[in-house]
Amino acid sequence: MRFFDPHIHVTSRTTDDLENMAAAGVRAVIEPAFWLGQPRTRVGSFVDYFNSLIGWERFRASQFGISHFCAIGLNSKEANNEGLAKEVLELVPRFALKEGVVAIGEIGFDEITQAEEFAYSEQVSFAKDHDMVVMVHSPHRDKKRGIIRSLDIAKEIGLPMAHLVIDHNTEETVKETLDAGAWAAFTIYPHTKMGSERMVDLIEQYGPERMIVDSSADWGVSDPLSVPKTAKRMVERGLDARTVELTTWQNALDAYAQSGQIDVEALLQKPAIDQTQLFADNSVLRGQAPRVDAPVPN
Amino acid sequence: MSAFLLLKRMLETRLPRPSVQWFRDACTEITDGVDDVRFAGLVAMASRHARDSTPLAPSADELKRANETLEGWNPERWGLLEALRAALVLTRSDLDDDRGVLAVESLFAFADEGEQRALYRVLPLVPSPERFAARAGEGCRTNIPPVFEAVVLDSPFAVRHFDDGAWNQAVIKAVFLGVPLWRLFGLDTRLGPELARMALDLVDERRSAHRDVQPELWLCLGEHGGARGTEALLKELDASNSNTMGRCAAAYALARAGEGERLVECMENEADSVVRAAMQEALDGNVASTVFRKLRPEEGA
Repeated sequence: MRFFDPHIHVTSRTTDDLENMAAAGVRAVIEPAFWLGQPRTRVGSFVDYFNSLIGWERFRASQFGISHFCAIGLNSKEANNEGLAKEVLELVPRFALKEGVVAIGEIGFDEITQAEEFAYSEQVSFAKDHDMVVMVHSPHRDKKRGIIRSLDIAKEIGLPMAHLVIDHNTEETVKETLDAGAWAAFTIYPHTKMGSERMVDLIEQYGPERMIVDSSADWGVSDPLSVPKTAKRMVERGLDARTVELTTWQNALDAYAQSGQIDVEALLQKPAIDQTQLFADNSVLRGQAPRVDAPVPN
Repeated sequence: MSAFLLLKRMLETRLPRPSVQWFRDACTEITDGVDDVRFAGLVAMASRHARDSTPLAPSADELKRANETLEGWNPERWGLLEALRAALVLTRSDLDDDRGVLAVESLFAFADEGEQRALYRVLPLVPSPERFAARAGEGCRTNIPPVFEAVVLDSPFAVRHFDDGAWNQAVIKAVFLGVPLWRLFGLDTRLGPELARMALDLVDERRSAHRDVQPELWLCLGEHGGARGTEALLKELDASNSNTMGRCAAAYALARAGEGERLVECMENEADSVVRAAMQEALDGNVASTVFRKLRPEEGA
């Protein structure tokens, strides 16, 4: 089976993870720009971070046969540093129109402040003007109100709802999101977000249309195999193949390919791992297989 | 014909019609004057009009014209998107003054991998390319092999504009990364004792680690390897070496070093027909760096 994980922070993951993801069938990922666990203090940190998303991380994933796309944006937490936020918002157009940048994201609300609303509105307007998709991070606290506010603002600005993906939905928010006409994404992330079992319950209840499963795996205790693991659970519980395909591959592809920045034809071809790139001594694959049951090969 | 006109013609016969119109409009906009952000936006959005996975696939005639435009410029392996971006850069009428340089440097500062490839490929085609020698040196520090190739291969930039230090580093790094050194234009015109020494040190390092020597490493010796080089080559050529491509490379390299008589002696006892054929070819004088293409079957030699 093939899987599209449309939300994962690969920057924080090791090559072991990438190997395991490839082996489990993950063929494409989207890495949205987010905060790094602690706030940045200089705009240059954002320049280098955005550059790594469109450069090194894309290449790193490609060595494992994984197509790496990304979303560019100023996240909600750091939107609250208003001086820095202004500088970062000026930077967004330098990165958002690049090849493989499939959305503005992840943007939205954290504490639902005025500063967050300003950054969100500015970026949604940019997305609308440039015919782009928006990936919305919904808050941990006061989630429902945050989602409703995100939907309302996007509507006011005139972003087509088909260009809006609301992420980190729960049982309590999925109906609002779907009724608004947006895509509903779910993060399968242990302890704080959604588990596989609940996810399958939701798909049974709401059907597979506009429903997207992702991992949001990052620097926390999270699982880069969340999408294939949830697909496995769907199969075990008797959901049909089309449902599994839609929620773990096709919906994400349909939503984000609207950006015009996914070479769908190339993606659908068998993943090609370039052996000359694998061989490079200076690349990330330094010849070792990450196993403890064998000595380090030469 | 200028590089821009040649690229423009190639693009207009290959892009879908709406994309040709977009390209023409973008050229007009750039010619009329755009700020750096808009210019970067156009270069970025070229990916909506040409896919990175589509090769440019120039005809033999187009390749000939490219080489006539600038000796050593070989767009054989360019992508269509790279060509489109290169043409957008060459559209600027201010490339010969500081304003144009700043605009190109600004593109580099925010470039993704595909844009980096396109920008490095276009560098030899801009006026006074030597102004970008430091930038190209920066490009050589990449760990992404396709970007490194775009800086160094199929282009006269390195041979013309790199100082000796940068040149030697680029040559050895090409071998290190496993990118095809035979595609480095002008290699045979810039060999020297320092490069040969670096190559022989790497030979020793590989052998101490019980690793095969990359066949193309032998290209770096030319006639500058001295007794140490000849000794290393004879060891490589020895029948006990199971690396056939390495043995063929050593045969070429021995001839390149002017050690034809040694090669004749080796050939008398040579049992492997593949190595014998390489030896004969070497003795016939077919030893330019491009002959090393044959040692890479995947290149479709």
